[in-house]
Amino acid sequence: MSGSKPDILWSPHHADRYVICDSELSLYRIGAVGTSEAKAGALPLSQETAATLLAINSDTPYMKCVAWYPKHEPECLLAVGQANGRVVLTSLGQSHNSKCKELVGKEFVPKHARQCNTLAWNPVDSNWLAAGLDKHRADFSVLIWDISSKYSPEAVPAEKLRLSGDADSGMVVTKPLYELGQNDACLSLCWLPRDHQKLLLAGMHRNLAIFDLRNTSQKTFVNTKAIQGVTVDPYFPDRVASFFEGQVAIWDLRRFEKPVFTLTEQPKPLTKVAWCPTRMGLLATLTRDSNVIRLYDMQHAPTPIGDETEPTIIERGVQPCSESVISSFAWHPSTQNRMVVVSPNRAMCDFTVFERISLAWSSTTSLMWACGRHLYECTEESGEGGAAEKDIATKMRERAQSRYGHDTVQLWRNHLLAGGNDPHLRSLWYTLESLMQQYTEDLEQRQQGNKQSLIYAGIKNIVKSSSGTTETRRCWKGSDRPTDVAQYHSEERSLALQLCGWISRGPEIDVEPFLRSLEQEGEWERAASVALFNLDIRRAIQILNKGASAEKGDLNLNVVAMALSGYTDEKSSLWREMCSSLRLQLKKPYLCVMFAFLTSEPGSYDAVLYESRVAVRDRVAFACMFLNDNQLPRYIDKLTNDMKEAGNLEGVLLTGLTKDGVDLMESYVDRTGDVQTASFCMLRGSTAEVVKDPRVQCWIENYRNLLDAWRFWHKRAEFDIHRSKLDPSSKPLAQVFVSCNFCGKSISFSCSAMPHQGRGFSQYGVSGSPTKSKVTSCPGCRKPLPRCALCLMNMGTPVSSCPGKSDEKVDLPRDKKLAQFNNWFTWCHNCRHGGHAGHMLSWFRDHSECPVSACTCKCMQLDTTGKLQPSDYV
Amino acid sequence: MELHILEHSLKVASIAKEGIQICTHGLIKLAFLPSKTRCKFFSLTETPEDYTIIVDEDGFKELPQSEYLSVADATWLALNVVSGGGSATSSQPIGVTKIAKSVIAPLADHNISVFMLSTYQTDFILVRERDLPMVMHTLSSEFTLLRVVNGETVAANCSGVTNGFVKPKLVPRPIIHPLSSPSNMFCVTSLDPDTLPSVATLLMDVMFYSGGGKEAGAQNEDSGHIRFFSFSLIEGYISLVMDEQTTRRFPNNVLFTSASGELWKMVRIGGQPLGFDECGIVAQISEPLATADIPAYYISTFKFDHALVTLGVAV
Repeated sequence: MSGSKPDILWSPHHADRYVICDSELSLYRIGAVGTSEAKAGALPLSQETAATLLAINSDTPYMKCVAWYPKHEPECLLAVGQANGRVVLTSLGQSHNSKCKELVGKEFVPKHARQCNTLAWNPVDSNWLAAGLDKHRADFSVLIWDISSKYSPEAVPAEKLRLSGDADSGMVVTKPLYELGQNDACLSLCWLPRDHQKLLLAGMHRNLAIFDLRNTSQKTFVNTKAIQGVTVDPYFPDRVASFFEGQVAIWDLRRFEKPVFTLTEQPKPLTKVAWCPTRMGLLATLTRDSNVIRLYDMQHAPTPIGDETEPTIIERGVQPCSESVISSFAWHPSTQNRMVVVSPNRAMCDFTVFERISLAWSSTTSLMWACGRHLYECTEESGEGGAAEKDIATKMRERAQSRYGHDTVQLWRNHLLAGGNDPHLRSLWYTLESLMQQYTEDLEQRQQGNKQSLIYAGIKNIVKSSSGTTETRRCWKGSDRPTDVAQYHSEERSLALQLCGWISRGPEIDVEPFLRSLEQEGEWERAASVALFNLDIRRAIQILNKGASAEKGDLNLNVVAMALSGYTDEKSSLWREMCSSLRLQLKKPYLCVMFAFLTSEPGSYDAVLYESRVAVRDRVAFACMFLNDNQLPRYIDKLTNDMKEAGNLEGVLLTGLTKDGVDLMESYVDRTGDVQTASFCMLRGSTAEVVKDPRVQCWIENYRNLLDAWRFWHKRAEFDIHRSKLDPSSKPLAQVFVSCNFCGKSISFSCSAMPHQGRGFSQYGVSGSPTKSKVTSCPGCRKPLPRCALCLMNMGTPVSSCPGKSDEKVDLPRDKKLAQFNNWFTWCHNCRHGGHAGHMLSWFRDHSECPVSACTCKCMQLDTTGKLQPSDYV
Repeated sequence: MELHILEHSLKVASIAKEGIQICTHGLIKLAFLPSKTRCKFFSLTETPEDYTIIVDEDGFKELPQSEYLSVADATWLALNVVSGGGSATSSQPIGVTKIAKSVIAPLADHNISVFMLSTYQTDFILVRERDLPMVMHTLSSEFTLLRVVNGETVAANCSGVTNGFVKPKLVPRPIIHPLSSPSNMFCVTSLDPDTLPSVATLLMDVMFYSGGGKEAGAQNEDSGHIRFFSFSLIEGYISLVMDEQTTRRFPNNVLFTSASGELWKMVRIGGQPLGFDECGIVAQISEPLATADIPAYYISTFKFDHALVTLGVAV
C-alpha cells in the first residue's frame, strides 16, 4: 500500500464500518440509501447502499500496512506499519477518554529502520502484534511486539532518543517480545488459527517458514517463489494461499513440501489475494491495473491427503464497477459474498458476488436449484383443476401406471387408459383400431384369395391406387329432385370410408349405423352433417330436432333445422345468399360446414375441406365422396403434409403406420415429447421399415429409460414383453451363462445341446418346478455344481420354502413366479461368492457383508441399484 | 548456515573522475529508473580516486565504452550468507565480522581473491566465476550451498572435485598494507524506494557534483576529510553510505536511521592500488576484528578497500 493506491479494511466487529487507507486513514459507515443515517454528503456505493465519512486520521505518514485490532474492545484500534519500520497504534472516530487512550500513539521501533511490509494481530493473545520488515544485515525481519508492555526509559540513553525523534518517551517501545528471521526480509506473515503460538512467515530468501514461538530455533520451511500475501483459509485452517507475480499457490500445511496446486497464471502481477470469510473455499484475486476480480471456487477441490487427482476449481471473473480500475477490495466480514472495492481515485463500490446456481432435475417433474445458502424446489401443482396443463412427463407416468398402450385386443380402449380426455389420442387409437381390423380381415382374405394388401398404409396410399371410379348424381333422399352434386364411388373409396368409420364393412354404403352411434354419443351436429353429406336432409333435420329435445340439448339446433328445411337449390335465392354469409357466424364447425356444403358450387368444397375444426376423418370421408380422381389425391396429399407439419395424430389415418407415419409422429414427439404414445403406436406398425427406423428405436429406448428412471421396473419389463411380442427381433439374447468351473462348458447350453438325453432346462432349477428331478452336477464333466453359500447345498437343488412364509396366504401364481426366481444362480462380481437368489436376497435384507465367513465384501452395496425399491407394483 | 550463490553475473569497473559526464546518463538510469532496465544489481561507490561500479550484465550494457572506463577482466558472482535458523541470540556480531571466520578466512587460505560489498541489508562476497568450484569446495563443509536459478533457490552440488587443489597455507596473516583513517564519520543507511524520486536530484548532486573539482577534493584531504559515497540498488533494496555532513542535506524522515543512530569510522586499506589478484587482504583486516568482536562494514573499490568500524576502535 503506497500513497497512491488506497487499500480497504472492514471493521472486524462492526458490519457497517470500514477504513480506506492511502496517505491517511478514513473511516466510513455504510448504510442503506435514503435512511436518516445516510445524510447529505453520503457517497452512493450501489443502488441500495451509501457510505458516510465518519473520521479522518492523518497522524501517521508513510503508511505501508494497517491491521485492525481483532477484539471488540477497544474498538477501532489500528496498528499502522510505516516506511521506516515503526509500528504506531492509532484510532479513528474515538472520543479521547475512551478505553484505548493509553494505547493510541504508542510506537514500536525496530533497532534498524527499514520498511514494515506486513502486520498481523494474534487472533487469541490480542496483545501480540507481529510485524514483518525488510531485511537488515544485523537485525531480525519479524518482530513480535506486546502492545501492553511498558517502556522503561533507563534502557536507552537519552542521547539516542534524540535521534529517534520522540519526546514522549513513555510511548515508545524498542524491545520486542520475540525476534525471528535474521538476515532476511519478511514480505508477508500470518498467525496459524490452529495454534496461536505458530506463525507462518514468507521470507525474501524464497521460502515459507512456520515458527513456533515456544521453540524458535525449530522451523518447518519450504523453498518457493510464492512468498507474498500468505493468508489462511478461514474455513480450512490447514489451507494457505500465497502468491508470486501472477501466480497463486495453494498450500496444505499438513503436506508442506510443495503446493497442493497453483492457479492459472495471470499476465499481470497480483496485488491482493483474499479468502471469502463467509463462503467456504472461495478465493478472490486482483491483479494490477485490472477492473476484474477473479474468483476461484475450490469448494470441491480435493484435499492433498492421498488424493492426486486434478483439482476441480471453478474460475470466473467479476467486474464490480464496470470499466474503472480496482485498487483494492475487501470482503465483508459477515454478509455473504459481499465486498467493497475501491478504485485508485477513491471511488468506492459495494458489490455482492452472485453465487453460482446449480440445478438438478428429478426423474419426475420436480426441479431443484441451490443459490448461496438457499435451496429451492419447484414442483408441478398436483391439485385437480389446476389451470395449467400437466407436464407430459407427469401424464406419461400416470398413463404408464394405468397400463396405457397394453390393451392389444381393443386398441381404442387405450385412449381411455390414457385418461380419455385427449382428442388426439382418441383419434389415434380409433384409427389404429380400424386399421387393425382391416388388417386382420385382410389377412383372412389373403389366405383365401390373393388380393394385394393395402391396409396399414393409410388412406393416402389407398386412394392413390384408386381405379374404376364411377360418378353418380343421386337425388336428395325422399325427393325426386336430382341434385347437381356429383358423387364418386370405387372400391378403394369405400375402403377409405370404412377406415373413416362412416360405413361398416360390406358392399353397400350405409351410414345409418354410424349416425345412430353418433346420436348415442350426443354428437348431434356431426351426425346431422354426415346425414346431410349423404344427401339426406330429412334425416339431418330429424337428428337436429332430436338433439334440441335431448337432455341438456341446445335449442338453437331447432333453429338450424328450420334454416336447413328451407334449402333451395335456386342459385339466386335469398336463402342461399343469407346462408352463405351468415354461416360464418355459426360457432359450431359442423353446422358451418353443412351450410357451406349446401351453398357451395358443385365440385368446389374448399369451405368444407379446409375447415380445420372438423375432424380429419370426416373431411377425408367427405372428400372421398365428392372429389373426383384428380382432386382427391391432391387434397389428400396436401392434408397429409399439413398433418405432418403440425404433428397432428389425426393424420395417422392418412399416413398409416408407414414412413410417412413416422414423419408425422416425429413432429408430434417434437411438439409434445410424448415418446410413450409414439413407442406404443409405432410398435404396431409391424413392417421392419417402420420399427427399425432409427427414430422409432430412439423413442422406444427413451421410453424404456424413462420407465427405469422412474423405477417402474415392472412396467419396463411389461413393456419389453409387449415389445417382443410385436417385434420379435427385439427379444434380447441370453447375455449371462452359467458355466462349469471345471470343464468351462455352459451348463444351460449343454442341456439344450443334449435334448436326446431328456434333460430340459428346468432340471437345473433355473426354471423348473421343485418337484422335478434335479441336476446338481455339470452335465458335461459330472463334477458337482458350486454350493449355495447359505444353505450349503449344491446349486441346482431347489430352495425349500421358507417356513415363516407357509402360513401366509399369498396368491399362488405370484408365489410360484417368485419360487422360480429363488432358484436362480446369483453371485457377487467382486468376491465371486453366491448362491440361490432367494437366499441371497433374504440374507442381504439384514446384512451388509457377504455370507461367506471371513469375506468382508459388501456385495449388496456394490450393486448401485440393489438398494433401490421399485416404485411400481406388479 | 546457508550460503546462497546468487545468479547475477557481475562486472567490476572503474570510471575515472574526469570521464564521469560520459556515463551519467546510464548511471542515472540504473540508479533511479530501475523499471527501465533489466538490471537487478547496481552499486556505485565514489572515492577520491574514481567511481567504482559493480553491475550485472544487463546493467553493464547501459554504460558507454570509453577510455575512462576500465573493467576488471573477470565475471564475478555474489555470495550471500544467510543464518538459516531463527536463533534469537541478541548480541550477534554484525556485518563482515560474522562471516570473517567462516567465509573470508577459508577463502584466503585457499588463495581465492574476494571483493567485498557491505550494504545496509546484507554483505555480498564477490568471487570470480572461475573460482566457483574451489569456493564451493572450500565452503561446503561449513555451509548448506544453495544456488539461485531463474529465481528459484535450489541446492547446489559441490562438484566433488577434491584433488588437485593447493593445500591451504595456515599461516598467520599480518596486515601488510598501510592503513589510513579520515576524520569524517560515516553513516550506513537506506530509504524507502517509494521516496527515491523525491530525493533523486539531491542524490544526483551528491553523486556527481558535490565532489567538486580537484581543489575542493584537495581541501578536504587537507582537513583529514575524505570524499566517499556509496549507492547501491540490489534486488530492489537501496543502501547508502555517506558521511555525516552529507546526511544533513537530506530531509527529515527520508533516511532510515537506526534507533541508536550509529556512526562509523572509516579505515582505508592500501597505499598503492591493490589490484585484483592479491588475496587475503579482507582476511587480514576482518580476522582481528572478529576476534575482538567488533562490528564492521567492508567495501572494496577498484583501487582500495574500505572498512567501517564503530567509533573509538583502534586497529
